[in-house]
Order: sequence, then C-alpha cells, then structure tokens
Amino acid sequence: MVLLQLLINGIQTGTIYALTAIGFALIFGSTRIFHFAHGAVFVIAAYMFKFTFGDLGLHWTVATIAAVSAAVAAGLLVNLLIYVPIQRHEGSYFTVFVASFGVVIVVQNAVAIIFGRGFSAIETHLSNAVEIVSGLFVAPLFGIAMVCSVIILTSLHLILTRTHVGIALRALSQNPELVRTFGLSTRGLSTYAFALGSALVVPGAIFTGAASGLTPTIGLHIMLISLVATIAGGVGSNWGAAWIAFSIGISENLVLWRMGPQWSEAVAFAFLLAFMIFRPAGLFGLAAAR
Amino acid sequence: MSCGSSEATVTAMAATFPTQASSEATGKVLRISGLSKRFSGIQAIQEITLDLHTGLITSLVGPNGAGKTTLFNTITGYIRPDNGTVLFEEHSLVGLPPWKIARMGVMRTFQDLRLFTDMSVEDNVLAAMEPRSWFWQLGGRQANNARREQAAAILNETGLGTKAGILAGSLSYAERKFLSLARIMATNARLWLLDEPAAGLDPPSYDLFQGLLRSQARRGISVCIIEHNLDIITAISDRIAFLDQGRVIAEGTPNKILEDPKLIALYFGGGHS
Amino acid sequence: MFVYLLNVGVFICVYAILASTLNVMIGYAGVFSLAHAAFFGIGAYVAAFVAINVSSSLIAVLASSVLTAGVLSLIIALPALRVRDEYFVVVSLAIQILCVTIFSEWKGFTGGLGGIVNIPLPEILWGSVSTPMQFFLLALACLAAITLIIGLIVRGSFGRSLMAVRDNESAALALGKNVALLKTLAAALSSGLAAVAGVVYAYYLSFINVQSFTLDTSVLVMAMVIIGGSGTIFGPIVGAALLTVLPNALSYVSFLPQSEIGSIQQLLYGLAMILMMIFRPGGIVGAGRSKRSGN
Repeated sequence: MVLLQLLINGIQTGTIYALTAIGFALIFGSTRIFHFAHGAVFVIAAYMFKFTFGDLGLHWTVATIAAVSAAVAAGLLVNLLIYVPIQRHEGSYFTVFVASFGVVIVVQNAVAIIFGRGFSAIETHLSNAVEIVSGLFVAPLFGIAMVCSVIILTSLHLILTRTHVGIALRALSQNPELVRTFGLSTRGLSTYAFALGSALVVPGAIFTGAASGLTPTIGLHIMLISLVATIAGGVGSNWGAAWIAFSIGISENLVLWRMGPQWSEAVAFAFLLAFMIFRPAGLFGLAAAR
Repeated sequence: MSCGSSEATVTAMAATFPTQASSEATGKVLRISGLSKRFSGIQAIQEITLDLHTGLITSLVGPNGAGKTTLFNTITGYIRPDNGTVLFEEHSLVGLPPWKIARMGVMRTFQDLRLFTDMSVEDNVLAAMEPRSWFWQLGGRQANNARREQAAAILNETGLGTKAGILAGSLSYAERKFLSLARIMATNARLWLLDEPAAGLDPPSYDLFQGLLRSQARRGISVCIIEHNLDIITAISDRIAFLDQGRVIAEGTPNKILEDPKLIALYFGGGHS
Repeated sequence: MFVYLLNVGVFICVYAILASTLNVMIGYAGVFSLAHAAFFGIGAYVAAFVAINVSSSLIAVLASSVLTAGVLSLIIALPALRVRDEYFVVVSLAIQILCVTIFSEWKGFTGGLGGIVNIPLPEILWGSVSTPMQFFLLALACLAAITLIIGLIVRGSFGRSLMAVRDNESAALALGKNVALLKTLAAALSSGLAAVAGVVYAYYLSFINVQSFTLDTSVLVMAMVIIGGSGTIFGPIVGAALLTVLPNALSYVSFLPQSEIGSIQQLLYGLAMILMMIFRPGGIVGAGRSKRSGN
C-alpha cells in the first residue's frame, strides 16, 4: 500500500515536472537559449497565484489569469531585455546562461524579501487528502491536476501539430541550423516559444503551491529537473523531455520506499547523470553529437 | 619542408611515418576509395574514389550541396563514413578522431574560418604550432623562441605582421581569411584541405593568396581546395575534381575538365538541389 | 579592528583562491562548472581528516587534499566531459548536489550535518600557525603561490591550447589539439588547487560543515569570477575581494533591514551578473570582449 501511495504521489510530482520541463524544452529547442530563468518564471507564477488567491482572496479564475499573465510577461521580458541585447553583440551560450542564472538569483531573492523565505502554502480544502481505500490517501487536487494536465498536454499537442506556429516551432527544434541561418526572422517565433513555454509553468506552479507549498528556492529545483529532462530526453524532442521529467518525479517518490528523503533528490540526479554520460545523445534525441 | 615545429618533433615524426620520398615515389598523398555517407535519408557522398597527388594543388569544384564539405569532414574525422577507406601516406584515417588525423599531417580550414576570436593573432598562430596537450612543450626556451620567430615570419608572409597583438575577432574580413591560412601554414601538415579559403577577397589579396599557395606546394605540401571562383581555379589548379550530388563525376587536368562542355554547363547551369 | 581586518583578509584570500582556480575552467578552458564548492569541500574534509587522524603537518595535509581533489576530479571529468559544452553545466550541477548529499550523509568521514570540530593547528617547520596574523600570511602565501602557478601555466602553451578550445573547439581539433585531454587536465588542475582553499578554511575556522560547500557557494564563486573578469589573472581576485567585502559594507547602509542583508546581497550580485553579461562580458578587469564567430 505504501508503494501505491508513493506511486500516486510520484505521478502527481511527475506530472508537474513534465509540464514545466516541456515548457523549457519548447523554448530551448526552438531558440537554443539556455533559459535557466524558466525557474524564475515558475516562482513568479506560483507567488502571483498565491498572492491573488491566498492574500487578496480573489476567485481562482482571476488568480489563474493573473498567474498566466505574469508568467508570460516575465518570459517575454527576460527574452526582450536580456537575451536579445546579448545576442546582438553575439554573446556565446555561456554569456546568455550566466545572465539567465542571474535572473534566477534576482527573482529568488526579491521574492524572499517580499514574501519571506519560509514555506508559503496556497490554502484550499482541495488539498486535504481523502482516504479512498484503506491506507491510500488521495486529495481531490490530484484528480483535478491529472485532468488539467491531460487537457493541457493534448492542447499542446494540437498546437504543435495543427497550427502554423506550432509546426514552425517543431521544425526549428529539429534543425538548429535553421535557427542560425534565419537569424532575424525567427524573432517572432522566439516570442511565441517564450510565451507558450512560460505559460506552461502555471499549472505546475499552482499545483505545487497547493500540494506541497512554496519557497523562493523552488524555482531552482524545478529548473534542474527541467534541464536534466530536456537533455536526457534529447533536444528536439519535447515529449522525450516530458517523459524523463515524469520519470524523475516518480523516482523521487519511489526512492522514499527504501531510503530517507534526503536521498530522493540525489538519486534522481545520479540516475540521470549516469544516463547522460553513457548516452549523451539522449533517449529520444535527435541531437547529433557535434 | 615542414615549417613551424621544433627539431625534436620533426625527428620524432620522421621516425614514425614514411619519409617524403616514399610518398613522392607513389605520388599519391591521399587515396580515397568507395567513401559513402548517408544522413537521415540523404546520401551526402556516394562511392567517392579519388586520389590526391603529392605536391600538387587539386581543386574540388561542384554546385552547392554536392558534398564537398562533407567529404572534407569525413576525411578529417569529423564524420564517420558508412563505407570506404581513406589512406594518407598508406595509413588509414577512418575511425580516428580529428585531432589524431591532424597530428598525422592532414589539416583543414573551415568555410566560416573558426578563428580563436578572443586570442591575439600571434597566439592563434602559436597555438597551431603547439600540438602537445601537456602543461609544457618540448624543447624549452630555445624552441619557444624559435617558434615565436617562425610565427612572426609567417605573419609577415600573410600580411599580418603589424597585427600580431590584435585580437583575432577584431580583424577585417580579408585579414581573417589570411589568419586562417597563416594558422595552417604554421603547422607541419603535409596535406591541406582548404574550404573556400579565398571567397570574397579583393583582387590584390587574391594574388597574394595564390602566391602563398604556390610557394607552399613548391615546398612539397599537397593542397586540396574547395573553390567556386573560376579565375582562382584556372590560375592555381594542377588538377580538378568535379563533384555533383555526392559523386565524383570527373577528375583530371584543368584543360581536360574545363573544356568539357557538359561540365561547364553543370557548373554554370546549376538547377540542382 | 586590526584583527577584524585580518579576518576579512583571510576570507578574501580563500575565496580568491577559489575564484582563480574556477577561472581556469570557466575563463580559460571555457568549461562552465557549478561543482567548484564540492571540491572546496573535498579539500576541507580531507584536510580535517588528515590533520586530526594522521598528521597536522601543513605539507602533508596540503598534499593529501590537493591529490585527493585532483584525482577525484580526473575520475569524474573523464566521462563527464564527453557531453556537449552546454550540457556539462547540468552535469556539474548534478555532481555538486550529489556531493552535498554525500557530505551530509557520510557521518563517519564528514561528521554529517554536524560537521567536524576541533581541527588542530597547522604545523610548519618552525612551529604552528596560530595567531590571526600568521593565518593571514598563510592564506596570502597560498594565494600568491596559486596565482603564480596559474599565471605561468596559462601564459604558456597550455594556456593557449585551453583558450583555443574555449574559443572554437572544432578548430582546435583540426589543429591537432586533444580537446578531451585538455579539458580533463584543466578540470584536474582547477579542482586540485581549489582544495588548497579548503585546507586554509578548515585550519582557520577549526570547524567545518556542509553548509559552506553548497550550490550557493558555487554560485557565489562563479559570480566572483564573472564580475571580476573571467579569462584574466587578477579579475577573479578583484571579484573575490568585492563580493567578500560587500555584505560587510552593506550592513553599514542604515536604511537596509539587517534581516534581509543576505538576500539583498545576493540580489545585487545577481543583478551585477545580468548587467555584466549585457554590457561588459569581460568583467571589471577584462577588456571588452571582441565579437565571437560561431562554433
């Protein structure tokens, strides 16, 4: 029973990771920018929701809209104010990464100053676990999270395969040379990628806030998972990233069956570290070695 | 004949590889046979069989997408071929990493130059002369000074003498192309694969360029150059190899190739993807 | 007051060593690593272990720490450097996190979360190092030695080879550079010498615990390198001095709430990193970088 409980927790965690990772994979795949600040966008979305829903007491739809707007705005601003100027004087991936990392540090600490460094939770009765079967606790939130995730992922799939923009984005991720050759004209596509990718953090941010609580440093942790997932899943494969992120979520929880909580983060990483070293091209990857 | 390496390195290399005399005897510095490579559905190069003659300048021509750069990449180890063999002075190159192939004596330049942009011009050249990866080079201070002198000489030859201390990234277009050439001149490579080295140069620079290539060939260096410009091709080529859609469709002396109306039509007519 | 300055001085030296050695990786080899704090920790823990259990001779401790860190880094780097440049960051991140977990859990060697206490004083030829002034001189001597070593190495052919790899890996390969070996050697050098900072740190405080060797520290050292100027010899030292003194300076600014000083400090250097990358990627000391051509 414990195992089943852990599995269910794992599925919930995994779904949150998958949503965030796929947003990052989308951005990285089409722009080849190491958008570490994706974690900062996650933090912004989460705390915006908490602020509007929890502190101001607004309706959850309003709060969600606020969170999505904040996330998209943040993603677009980071691109516009930071990445674009750097790329204009031909900065390397390193320069962009460092600046992106800087954004995470700034946001993390700004949030810590405004909201405090401790745990904040989004209070809702939906996160109260209900004993379905003896020994098995599931919160209604889990069900809602699952349904929402399925809807979102299906919509994403439709966007990526049926719309012009979506197809263009996928083409870009599979052929980075296109990104370089068509330099300037990908500006519009980058904007879409950032907007879409950033919006995708919102469900994960809200559910994390409701289920396990928020700290300003949560962005970093989520970011690490997304990074590892995108790389191990293979650049150019959004679903690869999603699957790996999902697996990490499950592993993190299953590890608790035998080892203490301090190992769950490390085990997930160790697993992926070995994987990356022995199969650098990624599981489903289309990324060729140089 | 080699330029830019210390005594010790030259002696060491001479001991392990066939002497220049033996490859002059056979006349073929590079022998490619049946080389093929397929990339996700596209046959980039197909059954390429080509010999490069020692001490001669061979031009590799053909429309865009014919597989010329892919061929270079395969010879130099950046791409692993599906089939075929590449013999450099009777040593097989297939399966070796690019740096080993380079140290054996085959070096290449890139179409997009790939200079070491945050290093000085002089350091770009010096870096080319120091292949060992350990914390210091052989030969001590004496060899170091010899290398610096050689580097200065090469920079003068390529017209970069006054720019030695400048960052490579700040050079003008023509200067960058010459630095790319200077780098390879500084090595002790016996076979040069140059990818469009003179594209976009103005006429006086062309002439300097041609002169440099000629003098290198006289020193026994074999050159294979990818080039589109007909003037350069006619001026410097000892032999021409024509590639189209991944195959060698003709190879021979300039007279033979350039007088074939079908090839000329192919070259100028184009219309290939 | 003077003792206070000496105290700050020791910390500046320790962080300057960390920044200078990280610079070998980031600034010269172009390999971006977030695992530096892990090797700082390895150096410190080995130093503590040897000093307590074997011998507190400075030479012995330095030798064992540097060797351990260097060898471990070689072992890790060999497979890790096979991944593409951009992905190595993530690998180094994973290594850092794993190391922190090991530091926290391996109670037998590291004392777990509680850390190690009562580290004895370092023994040198003519006695032991005990006063603040002596410690400062020790730290300064280590910094000077390391700066000298790094300076000699990067000014010569090895430095050129590293920078070639940094600027254009494929071109470096075409010129015969064994890129994998070069990166591995750079990593071993960088991590091995970082252990020296760990030795000084462990001896000076006579107490160490995992909190000093976390990702936060890696990020701080990285910020020092970048803000001070990567790819220069003195840039990291300037960066280290600046970012060590900053929290102290900030506490004198009256309108800032004391409880938030830590966050404000971090926020400021995050901001500095962003602005640096946009306007002056070469850092404070570095000259404005030239345009890069693509790899």
